[in-house]
Amino acid sequence: MSENLLDLGVPTFPSRPEESFTHEDVLRAHERLKVLKARAAKSSLRLLWLLAGPGVLVMLGENDGPSMVSYATTGAKYGIGFFVPFILLTFLMAYVVQEMTIRLGVATHRGHSELIFQRFGPFWGYFAMADLVFGNVLTLVTEFIAIQAGGLYFGLPAWLSVAIGAALVFGSMAFRRYMTWERALLGIAAFNLLFVPAALLAHPDGAALGHALAAWGPIPGGFNRVFLTLVLANIGATVTPWMIFFQQSAVVDKGMTKADVPQGRMETGIGAILAAVAAIATLAACAPLFAAHVDVSKFASGADFASALRPLLGTTGATLFALGILEAGLVAAMTISVSSSYSLAETVSARHSLNLNFTTGRLFYGTAILSTLLAAGIVLIPGAPLLAMTLTVNVIATLLMAPALLFLLLLANDREIMGDLANGRLANLAGGTIIIAIAAVGTLYGVITAFPSLLG
Amino acid sequence: MRNEPTLGSALEPEQLAAATMRPYPRRTLGKGAMSLLIILRVYVAIAIPIVVYAFVHALLTPQ
Repeated sequence: MSENLLDLGVPTFPSRPEESFTHEDVLRAHERLKVLKARAAKSSLRLLWLLAGPGVLVMLGENDGPSMVSYATTGAKYGIGFFVPFILLTFLMAYVVQEMTIRLGVATHRGHSELIFQRFGPFWGYFAMADLVFGNVLTLVTEFIAIQAGGLYFGLPAWLSVAIGAALVFGSMAFRRYMTWERALLGIAAFNLLFVPAALLAHPDGAALGHALAAWGPIPGGFNRVFLTLVLANIGATVTPWMIFFQQSAVVDKGMTKADVPQGRMETGIGAILAAVAAIATLAACAPLFAAHVDVSKFASGADFASALRPLLGTTGATLFALGILEAGLVAAMTISVSSSYSLAETVSARHSLNLNFTTGRLFYGTAILSTLLAAGIVLIPGAPLLAMTLTVNVIATLLMAPALLFLLLLANDREIMGDLANGRLANLAGGTIIIAIAAVGTLYGVITAFPSLLG
Repeated sequence: MRNEPTLGSALEPEQLAAATMRPYPRRTLGKGAMSLLIILRVYVAIAIPIVVYAFVHALLTPQ
């Protein structure tokens, strides 16, 4: 990469005396030292463990409050059928997109926002940043809706669950060290798999699962507006703009280099598999609602699903489900608020790292704190239309995905900054297909939302 | 022990915070890329108000 930097006129450092390290560099160097030692010792598992984080977090983070409600609704409306393989396909799509962010991060050591700003100029840079922050604040609102819903199941008043959720988001940033923040979140994100025992308590039919995977069916009721809405909602539940910005910035903040690309790909793949398993488990856990013909159209949140599942899965199953919804909202609130921080700070050339102290990283931490307070405040407005907001935010996130993907493809093909890590033909074909598909379903989603009677 | 990595050598030069604050030069976008960016910007500019309209309409319509 230093050759590329020289070509571009970016000065490189002839030497690297430790005295010139900033506090941020020192913390990052300590973590990198462990990676270098693990690599020198040829300890593959330890190397993967040290380099795991951005990919697993982004995938499990995207299994957020509204996503789990989408999967639950899918299970309750369609049972085990077409959507099981379809969810696997959407996570494959997510992997293709996220893999590009690893290469971009290690090749440039820059976040996604700053690359757009620097390479395409302020006009497109501000647009990209505005899209992201707008989408992120709205999505953050839906995460607090999930936190509030999970709390309601356990009898907590809305203000208390929201306050605890906000305090935990602020608390996670108090570490002021990327690695500690990442490990703490990985620990919490593991609870996304609570949906798996909940699904087992629903005693899913193995033969039905096998048939669904092989035949992409059945589709009870056939192709209609509800089916199309859930197709679009499931895509929106898996691939969203914040994931691109977050993973690239996290790869840079973690200090990953070109040598770490194989492990980066592997941990992103593992994250995608874990998230797909949790998503399908959520669908399977709610399949008994389909069998019992429970009408979920009036449900307001994940808490209603947990309550409706109690007679079918038992108290344990319903409690696991409610805890899973709480975790989904909490982890996503933590990752999405940090994604906004990275993006805003990168755009205005301010320091941006979870290794910063509060004085140096005022803007970075301030963005996360303000966006969290704003989102938590909106959720607590009496009579706020929370379910309508959740659905609308999903639509907006899907609409904003197409331009975000185009920026990603343009950057991943920029050989001046990517060198030999630039996209190959296959990655471009996959990326281009995903852009066209997302733009098409985004348009459909917008049209059927605006004109719900179109499909009858 | 000769090649034991040290803290000072743990980061690549371009990874240092000071180096990452130096911007890349701007690139020139081709007509095709520019057109696609504009088309998608128009797409978002049209689609978002439709969604906001649908949201407000749903709120104001009695169930």
